[in-house]
Amino acid sequence: MRTVIQLTFGALALAGLTACGSGAAPAPASSSAPAKPGKIAVAATDTECKVAASEVAAGTTTFAITNGGAKVTEFYVYAPGDRVMAEVENIVPGLTRELIAELPAGAYETACKPGMVGKGIRNPLKVTGEHKKLTADAKLAEAVASYKRYVKSQSDTLLVKTQEFVDAVKAGKIDEAKALFPVSRTYWERIEPVAEIFGDLDPAIDGREADLAEGEEWTGFHKIEKDLWIHKDVSKSGPMADKLMADVKTIVEKANAAELTPLNLANGAKELLDEVATGKITGEEDIWSHTDLWDFAANLQGSKAAVQSLRPVLEERAPDLVKTLDEQFAAAEAALEVHRKGDGWQLHNELSKAELKTLSDAINALGEPISKIAPVVAK
Amino acid sequence: MFASYLIGLREGLEATLVVSVLVAFLVKSDRKDKLPQVWAGVGVAVALSVGFGALLTFTAARLEYTSQELFEAIASLLAVVFVTWMIFWMRRAARALSGELRGKLSEALKVGSFAVVVMAFLAVAREGLETALLFFASAQGAATSATPLIGITLGVITAVLIGWGLYVSAIKINLTRFFTWTGLLLILVAAGILKYGVHDLQEAGVLPGLSTYAFDISGVLPADSWYGALLTGMLNITPQPSVVEVVAWAAYLVPTLFLFLRPQRSKTTPAPASSAA
Repeated sequence: MRTVIQLTFGALALAGLTACGSGAAPAPASSSAPAKPGKIAVAATDTECKVAASEVAAGTTTFAITNGGAKVTEFYVYAPGDRVMAEVENIVPGLTRELIAELPAGAYETACKPGMVGKGIRNPLKVTGEHKKLTADAKLAEAVASYKRYVKSQSDTLLVKTQEFVDAVKAGKIDEAKALFPVSRTYWERIEPVAEIFGDLDPAIDGREADLAEGEEWTGFHKIEKDLWIHKDVSKSGPMADKLMADVKTIVEKANAAELTPLNLANGAKELLDEVATGKITGEEDIWSHTDLWDFAANLQGSKAAVQSLRPVLEERAPDLVKTLDEQFAAAEAALEVHRKGDGWQLHNELSKAELKTLSDAINALGEPISKIAPVVAK
Repeated sequence: MFASYLIGLREGLEATLVVSVLVAFLVKSDRKDKLPQVWAGVGVAVALSVGFGALLTFTAARLEYTSQELFEAIASLLAVVFVTWMIFWMRRAARALSGELRGKLSEALKVGSFAVVVMAFLAVAREGLETALLFFASAQGAATSATPLIGITLGVITAVLIGWGLYVSAIKINLTRFFTWTGLLLILVAAGILKYGVHDLQEAGVLPGLSTYAFDISGVLPADSWYGALLTGMLNITPQPSVVEVVAWAAYLVPTLFLFLRPQRSKTTPAPASSAA
């Protein structure tokens, strides 16, 4: 037995010696211990469990648990279903113990168990991201996330405005419907590249009579446009309006659920400009209402939103391109601004050929740097 | 202070109990020559635990939570095997005595040094690392408050004293009774160690059902009470065991008790009513 006692004291002496050299003294019981960098402080008492962070990055996380209570406590990290990911026991009052947990991304719960029994005092812990530093990939991912937020905000308004438009049509309020037509389309045109991912829905919503193939049924905005401006009668347009609303709802759901890539953004920005050049400048888009400039402005804004989402990536990889883009966007916006009229724009048939040419040149000048974005992103 | 003391006591008892019975048995049966091996096993376990604990505390070395649980689980399960073997080893010795075959006693007691070393080592190493880490953590905090360090130290010393007391009283009783009682005690201890090992396997995610409790008597037996700490330290009776733990505990205890208490001549001792769990 003597040997055991000697060994015990030997261990204690060693512990005592090392204690002098370590400056990692835990904070006094009452305050929440400031953890060393990279450590998450947990201040536990008999009634509380204060975890300094509710969100950590995936990978290895170190918790420093200080027991400021009077009861012995334990600290757990639970995965859903109370699966123990990590735990440290025997945290006696006044003690700080560390727990190293390897956590993949997901939703977890932390728990302090004063008295070592029961469910413990729970706190949610979110673990996010990939276990790596903020690399170029992360910036691209952020670009996509940022653009998706834009799509969400636009599509929310699209639903509201389309509903207003549809209601006006069904109520037979032609003037109100005419005023709402370009407004609701604005939100549609801003995010059209995303909509185009879903092949058959885009033409159902935005198909033009001129582009109709033999035997296809014509539906969507432009059919109602013709009823409003040409037939001047929407008494039979109710079912068509309902179908438009249903289609818009479907596409908004799909658009927000879509997995986008940075390349989608780059290509989308380009597609929107092509739309402007081929449809809006020519006046073919809104051939009866002549509200092409609303669509023009919306396409330009949508294109800019996609480019802005990619901006952090572009600034890193092609700073000169960013400068050119900024200049050309400003030029195109200035060219369009000339034609602002009240809350909206001049009608397409109010513009001279020369004015349309100026707009067209501005768009082409912008299209050139925008077409360079995709290769940069794909690098 | 008292809370830290109880933790030290609990951790200490888990190691000293088996060691003190082992020592008593060797002394009782005139095998004092094996004692150095016991101390060697204990010494190696303590040194390893302290060294490893220091490594983890003061260097960048990292031990995954799961790895620590697995280590403790495997050490516990091995300890069960060795302690079980020791129980029946002692039973053989007892039979040699009761059968007036004293001449065969030394025969029955032939045992490799290796087994003794490993048994002593496992008894201590099982909880040694956790205890060492606890010591270092409390030593690091000693600058702010020395209470945890003093408490845990006193607890471990008390555990050693209890082990010493057990040894002294075991030495005094007559041989047959010694074998029966220490055997029964060891069966309960081994069942407890098995239960502990199973719990660790559940915590390491090897076995499921950690939070499926068989029962919860934490109201009657608070884990932070002195009797709770004693029961946990000696027999691993915990207030909130999982179903799997209880099943493993019973599956070990019942057959082992049956085998151990099989009539040798006619004298059987009923099992003490400690199977309340």
